[in-house]
Amino acid sequence: MNSVDASEHYELGAIDLAPSLLTVVIDTNPHAWAALEDSLPLSKAVANILVFINAHLACNYANEVAVVASHSQKAAWLYPVPNSTSDREGDITMNANGAPAQMNKYRPFRVVEEQVTRRLKDLMDSTSSDDLKGNTSTMLAGALTLVLSHINRRTIAWAEEHGGASLEDAADSGAGSGANRYSASNDDERLQSRILIVSVSGSSDSAHQYIPVMNSIFACQRLQIPIDVCKLSGDAVFLQQACDATKGIYMALSEPRGLLQYLMMAFLPDQRSRRHLVLPTREDVDFRAACFCHRRVVNIGFVCSICLSIFCEAPPGGACLTCGTELDIGEYDVKPALMKRKKKKKKPANGTSAAGTPVSTPTPGP
Amino acid sequence: MPRAVRGLLIECDPSIKSMILKYDEERHDYIVEDLDDEHHLVIKESQLQGLKARLDQDLDEKIMQLDESESE
Amino acid sequence: MAASTSRPLEYLEGLPGTTFNKLYQQPSTALAIFRRMLPDLAKCFVMALLYLKDPLPMADLELWVNAESRKQRDNAISILGRLHILQSKLSDEKVRTYVVTDPFATSLRQALTGSADTLSFGVLSNTPDEYKISIDFLDDYARRQWEAVLGYMVGTSAFEQRGPRDGASLSEGVKQLLQAGHLVELRGRSVDITKDGFGFVLQDVNTQVWHILILYVQTAEAIGMDSVEVLSFLFLLSSLELGRSYEKKHLTPDQVRTLSGLADFGIVYQESPEATQFYPTRLATTLTSDSSALSNPVTGSMGPAGQPGSSGSGFIIIETNYRLYAYTSSPLQISLISLFTNLKYRFPNLVTGKVTRQSVRRAIEMGITADQIISYLLTHAHPQMRKHNAGHSTSNTGGVPPSVLPPTVTDQIRLWQLERDRLRATAGFLFKDFTNFAEYQAPCQYAAEVGVLVWKSDRKRMFFVTRHEQVAAFLKNRK
Repeated sequence: MNSVDASEHYELGAIDLAPSLLTVVIDTNPHAWAALEDSLPLSKAVANILVFINAHLACNYANEVAVVASHSQKAAWLYPVPNSTSDREGDITMNANGAPAQMNKYRPFRVVEEQVTRRLKDLMDSTSSDDLKGNTSTMLAGALTLVLSHINRRTIAWAEEHGGASLEDAADSGAGSGANRYSASNDDERLQSRILIVSVSGSSDSAHQYIPVMNSIFACQRLQIPIDVCKLSGDAVFLQQACDATKGIYMALSEPRGLLQYLMMAFLPDQRSRRHLVLPTREDVDFRAACFCHRRVVNIGFVCSICLSIFCEAPPGGACLTCGTELDIGEYDVKPALMKRKKKKKKPANGTSAAGTPVSTPTPGP
Repeated sequence: MPRAVRGLLIECDPSIKSMILKYDEERHDYIVEDLDDEHHLVIKESQLQGLKARLDQDLDEKIMQLDESESE
Repeated sequence: MAASTSRPLEYLEGLPGTTFNKLYQQPSTALAIFRRMLPDLAKCFVMALLYLKDPLPMADLELWVNAESRKQRDNAISILGRLHILQSKLSDEKVRTYVVTDPFATSLRQALTGSADTLSFGVLSNTPDEYKISIDFLDDYARRQWEAVLGYMVGTSAFEQRGPRDGASLSEGVKQLLQAGHLVELRGRSVDITKDGFGFVLQDVNTQVWHILILYVQTAEAIGMDSVEVLSFLFLLSSLELGRSYEKKHLTPDQVRTLSGLADFGIVYQESPEATQFYPTRLATTLTSDSSALSNPVTGSMGPAGQPGSSGSGFIIIETNYRLYAYTSSPLQISLISLFTNLKYRFPNLVTGKVTRQSVRRAIEMGITADQIISYLLTHAHPQMRKHNAGHSTSNTGGVPPSVLPPTVTDQIRLWQLERDRLRATAGFLFKDFTNFAEYQAPCQYAAEVGVLVWKSDRKRMFFVTRHEQVAAFLKNRK
């Protein structure tokens, strides 16, 4: 009967909302960018991404950002720079210039921009042509790992500062409570982290990183960190899976020139705002995996019954390459109905793919 | 011809509403519009403080309170 | 975010459109308003529209938002409209569309890209100071000034003795401002805090600073200063960097005058009123942050004396049996706690007491709300309480977020308030005397769409709204 009761008043006390940490992985693979030169050169793309980062910083005083370049032979920090000494240097040179033009920019924006562009230039300058020869892929796994460790560090630091579960609690009971810290019901009270991958490389080049990339994706899934992917060119089997598993947004841009608008509209809202928005979703996710033996993307393959490793062809000698289990392969191209009962199962050639998911058009491996 | 009237929309329990109605009967100086359901009515803006004070006073008299013992 | 923004938001909404036009010329103002005054969803809308060439059809925007979040969407759009940021237009094809209005859009774009040459984000001073002003010094200065202001309001006798010793002197301007804002009343020679004042002292520092700033702007108008200049200066302050000094010579005379006013509150620091440069303190640079989104050494060190800046700066422990222990010797804090607690014992570094129905009701009669008491307890909760309760209550209270304070205490404090608060009043306008149902329904529906509808009765053909301007215009248009 009480029309005015306590429950209504609870709503009035607004909960303070945690800021968000945006981590951007820029795929700087020179081969792929060279192909994009006509529609969207790297410099322009970076300028667009910087405006997007500023927009993110503008949304909340305490919002944070981190930028990692996934280059052809290594992954490198663009911002923040791990050792703070170079940060200081940057400040000093800036003051020495003392150019008043710099005062037209909000300082946090300026700091990010200057560091990102400087570090990116350093990175490009340090890339020799030898590095590029015969290496057309990008170090996505390394970049994802860097980003994840940064997110982890910031989350713990933030929780400590703001009286959430403390570090000791997390450390006390190891992984179990660590997961608790992330997946606790009070989602709004922890640092909201997400990862945006601006990707240009094709996946066939990076199939050799299948295992580390998938591991990073599973880590994100567990920590409830969405991975958003903005695909400018190339196809990306694993990245679609990444978005699907972590409830991120996958967008392949048909018109790369509109990058900024895509970023602002689809990728800027943080997890909290996304609850209210209708997000671009993808139904035809490519769930194909890469085999462990030759890193080929396969539709149908062999799966070790012990460790679930995937192989594109029966491993030599019937021993699993990962765990070493002796697999009783038998004559694998025979129809299963004709087989005698075997201890170890195998994948017949016309079976369905792993999860019974929609299979996209198969692309022949290289 | 529709009209707009300035006022305070009061949302309360039926018991409180009936008390307000009773006050109003005395001099008709509270209510702008009785909205005819159990929980709502519109009153004059200037009367809110007086009304609250009067309600508090009456409620204090009528509602039994537990003794607050300062036992330690 | 929502609760603490209300005061500056209300003030800004009251300004005429031309003032907004002038204000939004500055990129720093556009940025500060974007960051501080808008709800999350509104920020998404602005950013999505900012770089769009064509106006966005209203239907598209509606499609973008989940059906369950209509309320948030309407609220966001209504705030954007009231701050003159979003405009709805009829396009050539007679479709209702949204655009971000111009001085605001241009300025925000300039803020993001840094393309303007308006010196909107302050000019760093290059002349080195004789003495290096450290961040610690600025924090300390801000804390002393601000505590002196609060101490003056609470009027603890201990503070009057402490005042001169601490070197924090209150100028006449500060006292007059507090009086003008009805936070204190002067009775003869003694200073009495008002109901508003009680509410004020228990708020978090960020909200307090905004309260004071808005008061400052209001009084500035009265003494002939240009409120636009003062306001845009405030927003400029919020985008400066802590620990740097800035040139004064680019400021207008009114802004220089504002500067010395703000120095009295510890919001900015200058060595002397004649100095050519000034330093913003943390009170200024965190203006556009959410109240507790960052740990604030200024607030923090206002607790127990002598532990400035430590991240676990709380000092209050409250138990499920309503007993309260406060590890503090600060007369200000003790007198604040005594507003809603029956204090029992006092030790050199500790006071203990009990939160009782009487003590809470006494506080509520003075004009303090339960939420203020709870948020005060929360911001000053002892690190042990945070650790203990946040770490352990997750497992057993399924679905309920862990709380730092014992839920029984917070619930009870709220219930004590509700005892006296048996009705909820909403100011606004009752629309009535519609001749037929159709005539009633259209404006009623419109009111719901723009988010001002509070109550309606189809049977009586009446509805109640918080603002009548839009609905009245709607009715007029239909004729």
